[in-house]
Amino acid sequence: MPSLPDRLRRAGRERTERWIRRRQGPDRDPIELVRNRIYILPTPLGLTYALMVFAMVGGGMNYNNNLALGFAFLLASLGLVAMHHTHGNLQGLQLRLRQARSACVGQPIRYGLLVSNPSARARTRIEFALGKELASTIDVPATGEAEAELTVTADRRGRVRLERFIVATRYPLGLFRAWAVIHPEYTALAWPRPAQRGRTPPGAPGGRTGQHARGSGDDDFAGLRPYQPGDPLRRIAWKTYARGRGLHVQQFSGSAVVTHVFDWDSLDPLPIEARLSQLCRWVLDAHERGEPYALRLPRAGVAMDSGPAHRERCLAALALFEAEGARV
Amino acid sequence: MSERAALLPALGWVLLALGVATLPHVPHLPVWVTALLLAAGAWRWLAQTQRWPLAPRWLRTVVVAAATLAVLFTYQTVNGVQAGTALLVLMAALKLLETRAPRDLSVLVFIAWFLAYASFLRNQTLSQLPLLMASALLTTAALIRVHSGRSVPQPRELARGSGQLLLQAVPLALVLFLLFPRLPGPFWGLETSSSARTGLDDEMSPGDVSELTLSDEVAFRVRFAATPPPPQQRYWRGPVLGETDGRRWRHARGSAYPPQPVQGLGAPVDYQITLEPHSRRWVFALDMPAQWESTAATLAYDYTLLAGKPVTEVTAWQLQSYPRYVAGAELPPSLRTAMLALPAAANPRAVALGRELATRNADPLAAVRAMLRMFREQPFEYTLQPPKVGSNPTDEFLFTTRQGFCEHYAAAFTVVMRAAGVPARVVTGYQGGEYNPYGGYFIVRQSDAHAWSEIWLAGRGWVRVDPTAAVAPERVNRGLVRALPADESAPGRLRESNRLWGSVTLGWDLINDFWNERVVRFDTRAQLQLLERLGVRNPDWRALGYALAACFAAFFLALTAWLAWQNRPPRLDPAARWHGKVLRRLRSRGIERQPGEGPIAVLERAAETAPDLAEELLEIRDLYAALRYGPASDGATATRLRMRVRGLRP
Repeated sequence: MPSLPDRLRRAGRERTERWIRRRQGPDRDPIELVRNRIYILPTPLGLTYALMVFAMVGGGMNYNNNLALGFAFLLASLGLVAMHHTHGNLQGLQLRLRQARSACVGQPIRYGLLVSNPSARARTRIEFALGKELASTIDVPATGEAEAELTVTADRRGRVRLERFIVATRYPLGLFRAWAVIHPEYTALAWPRPAQRGRTPPGAPGGRTGQHARGSGDDDFAGLRPYQPGDPLRRIAWKTYARGRGLHVQQFSGSAVVTHVFDWDSLDPLPIEARLSQLCRWVLDAHERGEPYALRLPRAGVAMDSGPAHRERCLAALALFEAEGARV
Repeated sequence: MSERAALLPALGWVLLALGVATLPHVPHLPVWVTALLLAAGAWRWLAQTQRWPLAPRWLRTVVVAAATLAVLFTYQTVNGVQAGTALLVLMAALKLLETRAPRDLSVLVFIAWFLAYASFLRNQTLSQLPLLMASALLTTAALIRVHSGRSVPQPRELARGSGQLLLQAVPLALVLFLLFPRLPGPFWGLETSSSARTGLDDEMSPGDVSELTLSDEVAFRVRFAATPPPPQQRYWRGPVLGETDGRRWRHARGSAYPPQPVQGLGAPVDYQITLEPHSRRWVFALDMPAQWESTAATLAYDYTLLAGKPVTEVTAWQLQSYPRYVAGAELPPSLRTAMLALPAAANPRAVALGRELATRNADPLAAVRAMLRMFREQPFEYTLQPPKVGSNPTDEFLFTTRQGFCEHYAAAFTVVMRAAGVPARVVTGYQGGEYNPYGGYFIVRQSDAHAWSEIWLAGRGWVRVDPTAAVAPERVNRGLVRALPADESAPGRLRESNRLWGSVTLGWDLINDFWNERVVRFDTRAQLQLLERLGVRNPDWRALGYALAACFAAFFLALTAWLAWQNRPPRLDPAARWHGKVLRRLRSRGIERQPGEGPIAVLERAAETAPDLAEELLEIRDLYAALRYGPASDGATATRLRMRVRGLRP
């Protein structure tokens, strides 16, 4: 049971968050940090500074010392100027999602943000945070762009919506913190957590059927062909690459192309999540080996294919299987 | 560890800021405090660059306790500017032992600010202004450096950023200084022990005044309301010394002596005297003070004007004096006895001379004249470097060395007069002063310090006699430098001989005077006067508040506008501008530029999406490319692009 002040504080924070959300509404790309959505408050350091300046003003009056008083006033004024600069450090920045990279449960899901600065003034130390957790700090050059990354780790599979994050800065003096709350609708997927290796998919290695002999199995080395995006890394001819002849992929002639059909029903006694985990493991492994595969799920399925897009499709089907989304 | 590694460049700036802020305190600090700070700074720097481990917690605790005790032991207190400064420097040294996070560096910057502030509390002359500026620039730069994290700004950028912040802060600081309501201090105790300053003392041994005159420091400045009196009348009265042990002269503490009235003769002189702080109570009024602010000062029995409390800050006094006067027409017997007292054994020859003068001259005035004639006609010399004298200084001076400075002449004359039965005493103070034609005021420096005599004559009261004038009349009429032999060095000699340098120093003094009058002495009354001059009728603190609020609002608006202007998109070249216009027009067709899409690619895509505009769009593309990437852009291409864009009707 949290203590009363804690509960009050949390209630207050939630209230503020609701108020901000109501006030701003949802955000659509590109999101511009306009003046009236940047909030600013002194940091603990800023409060200490204010105390110091008050003491200095008091001392200056006490000793009737105008130079000391003038110095105290200069510092007071410096603090207020710094406040404007901190606010201005955020103002006018534009954010948009560059890519959302899905990942398995327990692995970091990355939202890459493109931060552009249309103004002629460089922006220093812009912090991106999820809740209270600092995610990344970037500098954005004048009339330039920089990339920030927000990382989320989901604890269950499904659609992961990034609903709220914070852009903040304390630059230049650290006396104030200006921040903007962003309510984007960026989504990514949390794929099921892959099961331990060990269980072989049904029909494999006996699934080596031999029907699709296209000279791309892995029995006998048959030569090299130029690399194409999507080729499995383990087939790249690194020695050739090291000799400076460019990226090539080893090809094998042989009787067999290994193909798989990963079937939900073949995992009959297992509970749902375990089956999804197992299917996920098979999909990842088959993709890594460069073997074509198909996925069969109740009321859904993905036809035999290979390549990154196919892998994404299969993993998405697994992630969204009878799922309600997770929210961040 | 990585956070600590990132500290290094910021640490350099913080150390620099700390060093500059500590520098003015070094002469006032115990050596071990300065040494500790230097050692801590050096150690911290090495620990950072050599990756040594930082001090463990127990060691820091021990050092903190030891340092606090040491300060307590040295100063008997931790209060006040002296002990407080020492404590601050120690805190900085100890903080250096444990700086590992940016937060610690921020604390060090705060300490540097406090140190600079403390040095202003100690001294608020104009010479502190460079320190203020350097300190503000460095501390701000250090704090920016601490908060710019991994991105490493160049020193020049940092200095620019810091300068920009401070420049923008100056107007508001000025407004606060002029308008912020001031409460008259002090609210809490001021420390009584004050650091030793140059100036007169209430004791005088042979050589004291001549030593003082080596200082070129300003003692006070004087503005006369009307014509200034001639130099022979510009005697600024300080401590009066009526007791002697034969060698040393001392102020006769005379609470028992009744005050003696002064009667002014002729026209009075009105003037304002602005004293530099000298930590004593004397207000160096012109002989003889007649009117002053009675709550702030009192006149002692020997006519020295005394401030209510020691003069520890620049203060101005409105005074009136009578250059011609009758002071103390009646001499109380107790005072008469005191003013005739001489130690029994000291200076027998001088005493004999006095007695002889008395027997030969029935009229005391004749004895005075005889004594002055002796100074004038015998080979007496006026010099800043007289030979050392022994146990009977007056005898040796009068009959052997015959070289001396004003204090020798005044002391010898007074001794002889007392021996002759004329009540006499030594008066110290200043004489003369340099006129500053740029400011219309007189500068009186420590080098104008002087000592003369005062004798009491029946019917005329106390009469000033300056024996120096008999030996070196130049001293009184034209100042010290003209009176000394040409080969003797003296402060102000260069000023006197080099006209350009003289003007420079006078100009510099004018600036200092302005600083004193307008900055150091600025107070609530001056604030209200300022408002009155700005057209506020009967201003009070509420008017101050309104004016302050108005200035704040104006300042914030201006700063916001400036930042918005800074944040504006940069001005584009014509090609980019017209390209942007095309994109805005294409928006109605649902065509938006994608992130990462080039300016030509978007036009080509648009031409595919909207075939009816394709021809125009492709021409625009070509013109754009020619203007942008072509060899030399000519006006014709720009005009054609403009016309095509204007003609585009999606």
